[in-house]
Amino acid sequence: MKTYMLACVALLLACCYVLPIFADHHEAGEMQMLQFPESYKGMAVSNGGTISGTVTFEGDVPEMKILEITKDETVCAATEKHDESLVVGEGNALKNTIVYLVDISQGKVLDKAVKPEIDQKGCKFTPHVQIVPVGVRLTMLNNDKVNHNVHIFSSVNKPVNKQQTKNRKKLRLAGVKKAEGPVQVKCDIHGWMSAWLAYVPHPYFAVTDEMGKFTLEDVPPGTYQLGYWHEACGTNSESPATVTVEAGGTVTQDFTLSMKKM
Amino acid sequence: MTRRYKKITFLTGQSRPGGRAAWAMLLGCCALLASMLSVARAQKAPEASEEGKRVYEKSCAHCHGIEGRGDGSAAENLLPRPRDFTRGLYKIRSTEAGQLPTDQDLFDILTEGMPGSSMPGWETALSANERWEVVAYIKTFHEGFKENEAPRQIDLSGKIAYSEQSVETGKALYTELGCVECHGNVGRGDGTSAPTLTDEWGFRTWPANLAQGWNFRGGGDTEDIFKRFIGGIAGSPMPAFEGDSFLHFGLASEESKRLTELESKDEMTEAEEEESGKFYEKMDAAVDIALSITEGETLNTEDRQTFDNAMRVVYEKSWHLANYVKSLSPEKRPEPAIGNNVLRAQYVGGELPALGDAAWETLKASYFPVVGQIIVEPRQFNPTLDSINVKSFYNDNEVAFLFTWDDRTHTTALEDEETGKKVLEDALAIQFPVKVPQGPTAPKPYFLWGGRLPVYLWHWKASAPEQVTELTAKGINKAEVQAVQSNIQAKGTYTDGQYNLWVKRALKTDDKKDLQIEPGVFVPIAFSAWDGANGDVDTNRVISSWYTFVLEPVPSSRRFIYPPLVALLSVGALFGLRMFVRRRNS
Repeated sequence: MKTYMLACVALLLACCYVLPIFADHHEAGEMQMLQFPESYKGMAVSNGGTISGTVTFEGDVPEMKILEITKDETVCAATEKHDESLVVGEGNALKNTIVYLVDISQGKVLDKAVKPEIDQKGCKFTPHVQIVPVGVRLTMLNNDKVNHNVHIFSSVNKPVNKQQTKNRKKLRLAGVKKAEGPVQVKCDIHGWMSAWLAYVPHPYFAVTDEMGKFTLEDVPPGTYQLGYWHEACGTNSESPATVTVEAGGTVTQDFTLSMKKM
Repeated sequence: MTRRYKKITFLTGQSRPGGRAAWAMLLGCCALLASMLSVARAQKAPEASEEGKRVYEKSCAHCHGIEGRGDGSAAENLLPRPRDFTRGLYKIRSTEAGQLPTDQDLFDILTEGMPGSSMPGWETALSANERWEVVAYIKTFHEGFKENEAPRQIDLSGKIAYSEQSVETGKALYTELGCVECHGNVGRGDGTSAPTLTDEWGFRTWPANLAQGWNFRGGGDTEDIFKRFIGGIAGSPMPAFEGDSFLHFGLASEESKRLTELESKDEMTEAEEEESGKFYEKMDAAVDIALSITEGETLNTEDRQTFDNAMRVVYEKSWHLANYVKSLSPEKRPEPAIGNNVLRAQYVGGELPALGDAAWETLKASYFPVVGQIIVEPRQFNPTLDSINVKSFYNDNEVAFLFTWDDRTHTTALEDEETGKKVLEDALAIQFPVKVPQGPTAPKPYFLWGGRLPVYLWHWKASAPEQVTELTAKGINKAEVQAVQSNIQAKGTYTDGQYNLWVKRALKTDDKKDLQIEPGVFVPIAFSAWDGANGDVDTNRVISSWYTFVLEPVPSSRRFIYPPLVALLSVGALFGLRMFVRRRNS
């Protein structure tokens, strides 16, 4: 038996050395990240302009995948759940796109009095994409009578993994120090649950609504780069749009996105 | 260090009973000395040096990668994957949630390895100095180690001793905190969330089977378990009990009980509303303090007191839970079924006990460890099954076996993700030689389903739990279903992460391809098992080497006749002799 075990271990090691020569070295899919300015200074903005626009989807709209509910069916499967990585509305409006100013270094003060929330209801996170200012506490709500666990896959900040038991209606999470995003939020107990967070250092971030619309207000006059991120369509971080904002004016910038190449 | 102590006690188990007391005293002294040393042993790693880099690249980089990203050349084949050191997420720590490990933590893991994973202990392969150098070098992969702040260590001083009462309290918490979601009703890692878990890097991961403490990565002592609760297992789905995520954090135990009572009411009166409101306020205040600690603020004395009080409750609960988890597993891994532990089928007079019969409880199971099959492709490098436990009874005509094994999932028909073709399912094959080798030096068939010498197999599948098929095989890929199937009765059940398979066959059959079983003859036996959810199919499986079993011969009933008869005759002869001598002398 011992000899056999030793032989097995030896073989295992041998295989470990030999096999990978044939295995392809794939890098974990490069995560497309948001870009943040090196520093940001908050100040009063009185004559700011507005950037608004619509994000639309181009290409064949795939049918939304119905998620397989594998447990707690009475609560979780009461309504059909869809994969929300791509939500396309009327007129190909693309929901859940983060649109933001890439290179702003000063502007209106980051409001830390906001109380961002993500609700867990019917074993689904709502909203699917949430903006959380740096240093602000995010509140997780549990409106299900089941256990959830909030797992935030941060890499710049410390990852969070906390049990939110069925009787725990509110779970507040500590504010983070560094800007980071997008960061995935998952529930390990219900593997299909997924949402995204952006911890942001300045207030010029917006998430598109059902109509694909976004608005950034009180932008100090100037020329900026306008970036976007979408879970399924990727980013324009290589060639962000350039917009020029005039005092008190409104500038429109629309985007047309298609599925990112795998 | 506690684990080291266990090794010593393990040795006493092997020593002869005569010298046990002396041994115990000697070892007691040693243990005391060791524990004293270990206090002094909490060392700091030296400055990172070329030597650490050299040792790392020679011994560690094959799995953990030159840059410490956990992407070495061998990583692809391993699950759990080798750790990516650049993230600073260490599973096994003596420090609080979100903290880095201490140098001593890293050194201990290097020394002891991680049971149940591919990480070996390096105690014999590397000198202590080399290991310290490696610790120093590993720390260079993550920026966080450059901050010179010492990580907050988990306070173990409030340990609650193991008792029935504590286990009972822990058991209630196990359900309340939701451990059951992944670890299952009785802790076999078969919770309903178990099949969908992934780690921080998106790789498949399984919850620990709490009934097999010997496979716990960071050791199976109560303290080890406690540390996993408070500190979490970073990078895995196992959450940390950082306190504020505990239900009713900030309330004393009685207050928590009262609030549970109030919360369970359908409707609260005004007074009750007010009462519960006060509890919520108190909890909110405690959570606020916990959050500001995480956010890096320094507390005033009053807040510190409130927090400490709240944490005391959390720590108490965690000790109870640790005691409960400890109660789920045997103290150490059972001895394999060789020597004194060989599988001995017990004789019964009449009908053999059926599945679920209390008679099975009277037998001690023989433990057959299994390992991944890595000789023939496709191989299984990452087995999820640990062992098969077996009990057996026989009577004058038949033999019955009870095979028991833990499997986190009950898989009867799962499509293979890679090929989309083969249906994966759980299964067990019990292997015997067709002909029992005569004498200890006679060759046995090749242990992997035979070769030149054939083997005889019982093949059971989870999709047909009341059927065992007889096979003859001359190699792992050369098995044939026997044309003549003997009358084998079988019944398999799956409950709480465990299979129980009962099989009964006649001792003798008419088929020459079958094994014929006789009392008193040692018969080789071996196992193959498949966990469908782990992708096991065909050669991708777990296996054991040859063991033996025997139908324990019944001591002959003639023992009640011959010895007394001989005794009587001898006494008679003596009397005769005496009478003869007396007669002659007179």
